[in-house]
Amino acid sequence: MVLRKTRRILFSLASLYLLVLVALAIAAPLVSPYSPTEQFLDRRFHPPGPTNFLGTDNFGRDILTRIIYGSRSALVVGIVTVSVALLLGGAVGLIAGMGPPAIDSALMLLMDSVLSFPTILLAITIVSFMGYGLVQVMLALGIISSPIFARLIRAETLSIKTEGYIEASRALGTGPVKIVFRHIIPNIMSKVIVQCSLTFAQAVVIESSLSFLGVGIQPPAASWGLMLKDARNYLVQAPWMAIYPGLCLALTVLSFNIIGDSLSERFNPRLNDLV
Amino acid sequence: MRRVLKHCILPGLFACIFAGVLFAQGPGTLVFGLSGNPDTLDPQKTAGTLTFQVVKSFYDTLVEPDQSGKIVPALAESWSVSPDGLTWTFRLRRDVVFHNGQQFTSKDVKATLDRIVDEKTASPKRSEFSAIKEIRTPDAYTVVLSLSQPYAPLLASLASGWGAILPSDLIASGHNFAAEPVGTGPFKFEKWIRDSRISMTRNDKYWIKGLPKLAKVEFQIVPERAVQVQGLGVGSIDALEFVDPDDLPILQSNPKVTIKKELTSLIMVMAMNCSREPLNDLRVRQAVNYAIDKQVVLDVAYGGGKIGSTFLDTGNAYYTDFSNLYPYNPEKAKQLLKDAGVGNREFTITVPQNYPLHVKAAELMQQMLAKVGMNVKLQLVDWSTWLSSVYSGGNYDFTVIGHTGKLDPDGTLAGYGAGRYVKWYNATVDAKIKEATTISDFAARKKLYTDALEIMANEVPFVYIGTSYRYVGTRSNVFDFRMTPNLDTFDFRWTEMR
Repeated sequence: MVLRKTRRILFSLASLYLLVLVALAIAAPLVSPYSPTEQFLDRRFHPPGPTNFLGTDNFGRDILTRIIYGSRSALVVGIVTVSVALLLGGAVGLIAGMGPPAIDSALMLLMDSVLSFPTILLAITIVSFMGYGLVQVMLALGIISSPIFARLIRAETLSIKTEGYIEASRALGTGPVKIVFRHIIPNIMSKVIVQCSLTFAQAVVIESSLSFLGVGIQPPAASWGLMLKDARNYLVQAPWMAIYPGLCLALTVLSFNIIGDSLSERFNPRLNDLV
Repeated sequence: MRRVLKHCILPGLFACIFAGVLFAQGPGTLVFGLSGNPDTLDPQKTAGTLTFQVVKSFYDTLVEPDQSGKIVPALAESWSVSPDGLTWTFRLRRDVVFHNGQQFTSKDVKATLDRIVDEKTASPKRSEFSAIKEIRTPDAYTVVLSLSQPYAPLLASLASGWGAILPSDLIASGHNFAAEPVGTGPFKFEKWIRDSRISMTRNDKYWIKGLPKLAKVEFQIVPERAVQVQGLGVGSIDALEFVDPDDLPILQSNPKVTIKKELTSLIMVMAMNCSREPLNDLRVRQAVNYAIDKQVVLDVAYGGGKIGSTFLDTGNAYYTDFSNLYPYNPEKAKQLLKDAGVGNREFTITVPQNYPLHVKAAELMQQMLAKVGMNVKLQLVDWSTWLSSVYSGGNYDFTVIGHTGKLDPDGTLAGYGAGRYVKWYNATVDAKIKEATTISDFAARKKLYTDALEIMANEVPFVYIGTSYRYVGTRSNVFDFRMTPNLDTFDFRWTEMR
């Protein structure tokens, strides 16, 4: 019981944090005290204080402002990555699950080969081909994350399509496309949503990693990874440059993971109602 | 018997042990923090500064710059140039041996110079030696170079890292100098563990008696800046060639660290692609120059320095100041941009991301250009892309880079006025720079270079940001660590640890 209560509190806290983050991201120009790229060279390395709540960086830019604007890139990357991965992976998964075995094997072989590359390495390779930048990062992450969706959706499709009601529907003459949209998609939605939240968290981390490595979002745009990259050189004299963006990144990923876990428990019939 | 033992043998034994301990420690090992791996240790197969900084200790050159930048004898004890400038005679030292035991003679000089001009070596510095028509060795300690035309910068090339003299027998046997350097230098190569360290030990037979003073030098390869600074602070690193100005407060408050400030010979610039619309319009290039507060860029990005006004390091003997031409004046910049009709056109500053200082400078200048209404974005590329696409390919609008100083102004200026990566063409400048190579007289050369530099200062194919300071950090017990002027290589010969 206690465990369940803690989980519920964690879920609420995580949701609240994300809601605030989304609200800040949307209202960034209204709530930010400064412009994210404006440099105040007479105010470099100011510690957190009344004029700059979270301090300033090596160009005298306001860290709070840059974190708020950075949340925009993080959320946009998350949303677009998940959408691309879902569309691409979903299509592949459904075709593989519903189609003839030959196509199934071919598609899954392709997806497995994508999955066999180390994530960051593959992301860097794709980004190097397409050029550095936000759009390229999102596309690369979308492509990389699609096999997880493809495998999940294929597996679910395969198991659902042998259910009695699908057989019945097919016997009544319903076409495969209609079966997919009417029966299969609604039935796999819960698991897909859980996967979405996990992929979202992963995308935020990888975007930060790529920006940290210098192949992601380009300066002077604000991104948490980029802020950490700048901060790396000033860890001793200006630790706040690293602490706050790092904290935001960690909390965001943690929140998505908590939400993913909670949803997965809630949707799982075997765990539900029995405790 | 017992007395003998007590009075002679025991103290003798102790004395031996004591001496042994002293001897084993020697005059000390210096650990030097190096920011990256040299691409090779073969001085004739690279243009990389890191390589020359390291191999300076393994090799000697015929002549070398002293601490004031003047070229003085080294392996050659004297030299003379014929009045027509076509015959150069070098008299060599007789007391020099290579690390492998071979005696240094004129054969080695000839074999080395032959190796540099050999196309198969593919030395990036080959063209600097192309004036040499013939190399003669009348005896074991005399070398005579015959030139096809007078070429004054040759002496500087012979004094530079790429003029390092290699042993002829190893050249003949195809020795792999890239991994295992053998020279006449103050230190012998010991080991190179890539990405980790390069170690070297004292050459006891070095031709300057009493030098080097250190027993051992170890280059620790530490790319991470914060780690370098921490290392110097706690003493795991004894010397750093370059301390980032932003790290100075931490190190200056440490009593065990000494910081020395010197003017480098770097020429920091923002280059402009003068063949591209609208940068081919002089007014736009002038506007960019007016828009940039050079002192601020130097102070914030490069840790201070002297602002530049033309394409030479400000401490150079051939430098003339033209800084009254384009002082910081954003209003004038706006007006010029309006006159030229630049509008909202997008420009890109392409910067090599492995140079954080240039990236910082680019971020600053982007803001300054934005303030006068220019639409500029930043693009970071890796070093190899920068070299191929920007420096060789000329595929860019703006780029921020530092040109290393050269012993002879021709090393910096050759080819400008005839394109180079700024794609700027000016026949007068090209002709003057070429003519200056044929003259040895300083005043006459300076006149030609001043004319060329004045045109470059007026026509601004660059924003000449200036020459930065360098902060060399050492532990307080390290004395006399020197940097070679203009070449920025490390000279450990006089260095001592007390």
